[in-house]
Amino acid sequence: MMKMLRFEIKKVFSKTVNKIALVILMIALCIVSFFAISSVEYVDKEGNSTSGIVAAHHLRDEKNQWSGYLTEDMLLEVIEKNAEINASEEYLSKDYRENNKAYAKKQGFSDIRTILNKAFCSFQEYDYYRADSVSADEAGSLYERRISNLTEWLNSDEVKDNYSEAEKNFLITKYKELETPLYYEYFDGWKALLEYAPTIIMLIVLIMGFLVSGIFSSEFQLKADSIFFSTRLGRNRGTVAKIKAGFLMVTVIYWGVMLAYSAVVLISLGTDGASCAIQTGLGGWKSFYNISYLQDYLLTMIGGYLGSLFILTFSMLVSAKTRSTVLAVTIPFILLFIPSFLNGISILSSVLGLLPDQLLQISEAVNFFNLYQIGGKVIGAIPIIMILYFVLYCALLPILHHVYRKTEIK
Amino acid sequence: MELKVENLTKDFGGFTAVNHLSMTMTNGVYGLLGINGAGKTTLMRMLCTLLKPSEGRITCNGKDIFKMDADYRKLLGYLPQDFGFYPEFTVQDYLLYIATLKGIKNSFAKKRVKELITQVGLAKVANRKMKKLSGGMKRRAGIAQAMLNNPKILILDEPTAGLDPNERIRFRNLISELSEDRLILLSTHIVSDVEYIANEILLLKDGSLVCRGTSEELIYSMKENVWRCNVEKAQVPAIQKAYKVSNIKSEAHGAELRIISKDKPFADAVQENPNLEDVFLYYFGEKAGDENAAI
Repeated sequence: MMKMLRFEIKKVFSKTVNKIALVILMIALCIVSFFAISSVEYVDKEGNSTSGIVAAHHLRDEKNQWSGYLTEDMLLEVIEKNAEINASEEYLSKDYRENNKAYAKKQGFSDIRTILNKAFCSFQEYDYYRADSVSADEAGSLYERRISNLTEWLNSDEVKDNYSEAEKNFLITKYKELETPLYYEYFDGWKALLEYAPTIIMLIVLIMGFLVSGIFSSEFQLKADSIFFSTRLGRNRGTVAKIKAGFLMVTVIYWGVMLAYSAVVLISLGTDGASCAIQTGLGGWKSFYNISYLQDYLLTMIGGYLGSLFILTFSMLVSAKTRSTVLAVTIPFILLFIPSFLNGISILSSVLGLLPDQLLQISEAVNFFNLYQIGGKVIGAIPIIMILYFVLYCALLPILHHVYRKTEIK
Repeated sequence: MELKVENLTKDFGGFTAVNHLSMTMTNGVYGLLGINGAGKTTLMRMLCTLLKPSEGRITCNGKDIFKMDADYRKLLGYLPQDFGFYPEFTVQDYLLYIATLKGIKNSFAKKRVKELITQVGLAKVANRKMKKLSGGMKRRAGIAQAMLNNPKILILDEPTAGLDPNERIRFRNLISELSEDRLILLSTHIVSDVEYIANEILLLKDGSLVCRGTSEELIYSMKENVWRCNVEKAQVPAIQKAYKVSNIKSEAHGAELRIISKDKPFADAVQENPNLEDVFLYYFGEKAGDENAAI
C-alpha cells in the first residue's frame, strides 16, 4: 500500500502545473508572512513610524509596561496617563509630527484605550476619542458596560426580532461568564497571526485544489483508466491509495504551510499574550466565545484543517464522479466565494454561518453572533461546523471510494 | 482455463453494441476480427470487468467474473486500444506501479519488470520517460504491463493499430512467444495480424458472432467462391456494383479482378485459392453500390 501511495503522490507532483502550484503556494506563504509581520507598527519618540520585527520588539517593550489585570486601578491609571498626554503640547499641536510624538507615548496602552472606547460606546458604535472622556467614576463599570451594552442592543428595535429569548439569554450568559478582570499584555504577534490566517488558509485550499483535483480524473484524461480498473487491486486498494494520497497531501501541505507561517510570524513578533482573552482586542471585545488567543489560534488551525479536508475531498469526489479536473478545481472557488456574494441577503445569514468557508476563517467567525438552536439548546456556529464537517468528511470517504470503485469504462 | 460468454448483450441507450453473443474460449490465441464498430472493444471491456453487461453473463471456469471481482482480475492482463500511461513516469516506474496495482510483491515485481523490459526490447530505454517513447515502444511497454502478472487470460485490443509493418511483425512474434499455456484474445481489423498466430478466428459483425474457426477452416469454407477474371477497364464500376471485388490490378489493356462470388461471375473466370482477406471481405465487405457501407 505504501508503494501504491508513493506512486499516487509521484503522479501528482510529476505534473508541471502542480509543481508550479506548489511554488505559488510557497511564494504566497512568504508574501502573507511579510504582510503579517509588517502589520505591526511602532512610532518612536520622534514620531517616526516603523513596522516589522524591530518595531514589534519596541512595541512589546512599550505595551508590556502596561501588562497585568485590567482592574479599576489600572484603568484609572490609563485614563490619567491618557489625559496627561492629551494636555501635552505635542498632542495639541497642529503639526501631525508633533501629534505622532504624542501617540508614541500612548501606544503602550493603546489596546486598553481601545477597550475603553468600545465599552463606553453603544454596542454597535466605535468612537476613537471616547476614552478621552471616560470619567474616573465610570472606569469601574467597564465590564458591566459590556453586558449592559449587549442587553440594550438585543432589546433594541434594530435586532430584537432577530434573536429568540433563548438566544438572547445565551449571549448574555456567555458575556457574564467572561472571567474578569481581563489579563492584558502585548499580544500583537497573535493578533497579526490570526488576522492573516484566513488568507493563507484560503490560498492553501485554492492552490491545493489544483493538486488534488487530478488524483481521480487524471486516469480518464490520460486514458490510463482501462488498465487501472482491470488490475487486481485497482478498484480496491488502488482507490484507497488515491484517497490516502489526497488526505496525506492536504495534511502535510496544510500543516507544513500553517506551522511555517505560525513559526515565522510568532518568532518575528513574539508569542506574548497567548493566555490573554480575545476580548482584549478590538475585534474580540464583542465575541461571546470566552477563549484566549492561543485557544483561538488552535481553533483556527483545526477549523482550517477540517475545512480544507472537507472542501478538497469534495473536490476529489467531483473529480471521481465527473471525470473532469477542471470542474473539480472550481469547487474550492465556488465554496469559498459564493458565500461572499450571498452575504448581503439577510434571510440566508443562518445558512451562510454553517457553510464550510466559515471553517477557514474561525479567527473571524469567533466575532460573529451566529447562533443555532438544537433540541432547545443554543449553540454557537463554531462547535456545530467543526462537528458537522468532520462528520461530512468522514461520510465523503466511503462515498468517494464507492463512486470510483464502481466506475465503468464506456 | 475456460472463459464462457453466454447470451451477452450490451445496450447503450438504444444502440446494441454486443448482441446476444455466446461463445466459449479455452487456452490458445483467439483472433477477434471485425470492422470498426463491430463491438470488439465493448466485448473486451466486458471481459475485463470494465463494463457490466445489459444481459447475459461471463464465466471463468464456471464462476461469474463480476462476482469473482479481484480474483478474476488476478488472472487478467489487458492492453486497451487507447493505451494510456503516465507521461512523466519512466518505463521502469510505470511497470513497477502497474505491478503494485496487480498486487505483485515488491521484491518479485522488480525482477519481473526487469525480465519483461528485456523481453519486449525496452532495456535501453528503461529509464526513459514514457512520453519520450516511440509508438511501437509504447505498445511494447503496454504488452509488458499486461504480462506483469503472468496472466492466464490476456486480452489485447487492436494492439497493432498505428504500428509500422516492422513493429507489427515484431509484435506478432512477441504474442506468439507469450501464447503458451494461456488464453489470448486479440482484436484487430487487420487480417494479417491474426492469420498466422491465431488458433481460432472469431468474426464479429454488429455485435454478433457471424463465423468462427481456424484460419484454414475459414479459408476452406471459401474454397469455390474466389475468382479471377480479366475485363475491360470500363466494365469495372459495373462489376463492383454487382460483386464483392477483393482486388483490382490495372493492366495495359484492361484490369484483372479478384471477385468473391458463390457463382462463376464470367464464363472466362478462373477459380483462385482463397485467403483470409477474402473471408473478411465475404463477411464484412459491401458491393460498391451498397448503402451504409461498413468498410
